[in-house]
Amino acid sequence: MRITRIYIYLMYIIVIFSIIMFISEEHYIIASLLFLGNMLPGYAMATSLMEKNGN
Amino acid sequence: MINEQIYRRFNHTVAACFVIYFLFPEYILGIQREYTILLFWIFIVAIEYLRLNKDLKVLGMRDYENNRIAGFVWFATGTCLILGLYELDIVPQSLAIATIIMAAFTDPLIGEANQKLGDKWGIGLGLLCSFLIYQLVVGVLFYSIVGSIIAVVSERPKIKWFDDDLAMQLIPIIVLTLLSVMDFSPDIPLEIVGGSL
Repeated sequence: MRITRIYIYLMYIIVIFSIIMFISEEHYIIASLLFLGNMLPGYAMATSLMEKNGN
Repeated sequence: MINEQIYRRFNHTVAACFVIYFLFPEYILGIQREYTILLFWIFIVAIEYLRLNKDLKVLGMRDYENNRIAGFVWFATGTCLILGLYELDIVPQSLAIATIIMAAFTDPLIGEANQKLGDKWGIGLGLLCSFLIYQLVVGVLFYSIVGSIIAVVSERPKIKWFDDDLAMQLIPIIVLTLLSVMDFSPDIPLEIVGGSL
């Protein structure tokens, strides 16, 4: 489970890094798509992780 | 416990970040970037081999995936094929980027919509999502309409040896690339992102 959590955090880092890189290269549409497409599942995933912490 | 369905969906949408490949420089640590595609694919296949044969536990697997190739392998295979075809100058970069992002977002959206709202909503939202992605990335109405229809149609059949994660990438990009070389088709932007990392 610990590895899974690390993997999930890594996925957040990958998304944030990719968005920053596309913004820095002025590819705003691709950056926005990556942000919008990952926003909802990313939020749901974070909520799921926090629920686990609450238990 | 981590919600496995949310975990699966998040894994799927994160796969859109594969498009960062197009920002990679030509050489990564002295290795030509094309070979990183092959190395990555071998890594994914090795994980799948360990999962199927050595009882490696991977979170988020569906029950029917216990004895067959998992969705993440199909998706990675599709993406690696698209990147490989791009490096061979067979598919345009704009279509490669749009198709990878489209497959990463549309498939989980259709799955969620089918489950919560019904099949018709799944088809409708799938068409809308894939159309918007093609239109925003490629920017040519013809390819957006054709691409979105083909993407949603490719998702429908449930075939054991040809998963929708692969079909939703390969079928649209092959059809759109063939269309792009036809005389009657509108021009398509070839390169939209240059290597820079």
